[in-house]
Amino acid sequence: MKRSAIILSLLIALIVSGTFSAKAVAEAIYPDPEKNITIVVPHAAGGGTDLIFRKLAEEMKKVSGVNFLVTNITGAGSATGTNEVINNEADGYMLLAAGTHTTAATMQGLTDGYKKLDYIAALNWDPFIVAVRKDKPWTSLQELVADAKSRPGKISLGNAGMGGATGVASVGLNLAFGKVFNVVPFNGGADLIASVLGGHCDVGIFSQSEVVANINSFRPLVILSEDHSPLASLASVPTLDEAGYPEITVPGGSFRSLMVKKGTPEVAKKWLADTAEKAFYSASFQKFMKDNGLIPAFYKLEAFAEYDKGIIADYEVILKEAGLYKMTN
Amino acid sequence: MDTLLQGFMQIANVSTIVWMAIGSIVGIILGALPGLTATMGIALMMPISFRLPTATGIGLLLAVYCGAVSGASIPAILIGIPGNPNAIVTVEDGLRMTKKGKAGQAIGGAVVASFIGGIGSMLALMLFSPLIAKFTLAFGPAEKATLALVGLAIIASVSGDNIWKGLLMGAFGMCLAFLGTDPFSNQLRIPFSKYLATTPLSKGLDLTSTLIGLFGVSEVFIGLKKSFVGGQHVEPVKIDHIFPPFKKILSMWKIILSSLGIGILIGAIPGTGASIAVFMAYNMAKNIAEHSNGKLEKLGTGALEGVFAPEVANNAVTGGALIPTLALGIPGDSSTAVLLGALIIKGVTPGFQLFTTNMSLVYAIFITLLIANIFMALFQLLGVRLYPKVLEVPQQILLPLVLILSFVGAYAVAGQATAVGIYNLGIALVMGLIGYFLKRDGYPIAPIVLGLILGGMFEENFRRAVKLAGGNYLTFFTKPICLLFMALAILSIILPIIAKKRGKR
Repeated sequence: MKRSAIILSLLIALIVSGTFSAKAVAEAIYPDPEKNITIVVPHAAGGGTDLIFRKLAEEMKKVSGVNFLVTNITGAGSATGTNEVINNEADGYMLLAAGTHTTAATMQGLTDGYKKLDYIAALNWDPFIVAVRKDKPWTSLQELVADAKSRPGKISLGNAGMGGATGVASVGLNLAFGKVFNVVPFNGGADLIASVLGGHCDVGIFSQSEVVANINSFRPLVILSEDHSPLASLASVPTLDEAGYPEITVPGGSFRSLMVKKGTPEVAKKWLADTAEKAFYSASFQKFMKDNGLIPAFYKLEAFAEYDKGIIADYEVILKEAGLYKMTN
Repeated sequence: MDTLLQGFMQIANVSTIVWMAIGSIVGIILGALPGLTATMGIALMMPISFRLPTATGIGLLLAVYCGAVSGASIPAILIGIPGNPNAIVTVEDGLRMTKKGKAGQAIGGAVVASFIGGIGSMLALMLFSPLIAKFTLAFGPAEKATLALVGLAIIASVSGDNIWKGLLMGAFGMCLAFLGTDPFSNQLRIPFSKYLATTPLSKGLDLTSTLIGLFGVSEVFIGLKKSFVGGQHVEPVKIDHIFPPFKKILSMWKIILSSLGIGILIGAIPGTGASIAVFMAYNMAKNIAEHSNGKLEKLGTGALEGVFAPEVANNAVTGGALIPTLALGIPGDSSTAVLLGALIIKGVTPGFQLFTTNMSLVYAIFITLLIANIFMALFQLLGVRLYPKVLEVPQQILLPLVLILSFVGAYAVAGQATAVGIYNLGIALVMGLIGYFLKRDGYPIAPIVLGLILGGMFEENFRRAVKLAGGNYLTFFTKPICLLFMALAILSIILPIIAKKRGKR
């Protein structure tokens, strides 16, 4: 009896140490050319975030020769996909398509999010545009705000969902203007566009591609970024500064980045960051960003961690004010 | 005419035809497997489409889309498990036809109906896109909330003999729909939220897993019980009359037209979908059949009419959903959302401009949709004689197979999110048990599904409409479409009750 117990415990020890040493070997030769590296996109296939990472994955594959795969794991804002990365091994074979959605989901307590993730590379911003239907009376942001101030709560400002980046931006704007708008969350961008086009909602906050698709029906009032849109059809849309509100800053866009689970070996993180850098600066990816109006913001590793602190600080104020802040520690 | 020719040239090549044939077959297979949806199929094929020319790539995705919507009817008819939510209603009469030994005719009819729905909606897409797109914009949150109400009222007609049992089940379904998180504030709304907050249950019940449980797993339990009490007599499958006689199809013209119209319109309204359209089409067909003076068979008795209505409607949704996708850049359902992404990554901006600047591509898309429907019908018909053979498989082999397929489906819904997949297995099992006891005691299952699908849509749009109106609940009484829908909803609950009382006298 005793002997068999000993043999059993020895066996277990052997197996355990075996897996450990196997792991050690795997770390030494990261990345294993036999293995795929998965990028988990926490949003649906075909959406704005998804397309960026599919393009990036293609370029990362080209510059490294390692196979990068994109998987869409959706649900609970972006929390389901984020949790999937956090619940997996910290071995550098699973990346999260992170960004402002991760920041928002973490602060809402839907996932441990960035508290359990490490920084790889910051990529770009897709600035939001505030637009109304063309037949509405407001031709500038100032006119709109003046009207809203004259009858508070009567003009509706729609976003694509409270938990997402447009939600945060709309709440931020409303705060800046003294809460004169009726902020209404919709079920995704498509729902919002249809409601603004149909005249059910007065003002909407959109991504650039959504405005471009309906440029004949929309009147863009302001772009929520420091610079003009890189897209020709939106280049004349004024910034907040030009629209007469230089004192207002809102995190007005969706930011995209790559993150991994905390505890991933330094070798792997460095390799991933360098590969992402090469892919980011490839002619093909640069053209993709330009064509889609994305504003580059590349930072890697520590520099990215530093950059994200600014985003977190901006978001904290707005989410607390909106009553969405549920982070416990 | 020139642009039409140019559009034709974009797809008149061998590679387009071959890829579309592959897409069609893949779509039918995915559609027929429970848990694998059309959206998933399109997402799966998207990386391939990126490498193909734009029109060819879109053709491939459309072929998968049409195939998957139609393929879902096969298991619905044969074993009573819808391949995806589009085919929930097809179970009602399809399974009854199978039990009468008319499986071949049911599947053949479903294929013909799918083809009619697909082609009909393609014509609507070609001819009336801008018009229909504009019409759907009239549907704001208030209108959608009352539309959901109309859908919920259909419970009366899918309740079987006892309308009260049906209403009870509908309420149960709505309760299930409210589990999860609040759509506005992301607050948790589940029992034991302290423990369940970090589990996938916090986002509510997964629709497909719930359906697999209610329809698939519960059938296994029922079959199991029957195998204990004694052999089940299944009519031998006759596969002669596969095509419904042309005269029969003609006699159903009212049902076909109404289902087509419902499918196209519901498909074109963003935020709705095929699973709602099929219920509405079935309800309409039921009314038409009742007032046909016996020319049409009564729905719910294993009538071909009951297979035709949902199958025309769900394939009509494909063309319908493409209308706002192409004309406004707003996807009509989750499948067209992926298609939209595929177009954008190709550098094509859908929306009004597409129709003015790139008409040849629009024509190419129309033609590929036509080809997708032809392939779908072709490959489906090749299999029609094959599929019913499933029923000749002895119960002791079929039951475990159904159970395995059900569980694989529930697990696969979550894609690569393995933790979510495990929870979905639990949902399928628990729902299977609930479904078994409900079916045993004669409670209808369809109202639960209606409540589950429409409950969320109703709640969200109701609250949004009130918020838009600045807290005014009377907003619903100020809009003509809402008033019309509310009247419809009330009538469709009251009329069957009155008719029944009269019948008793």
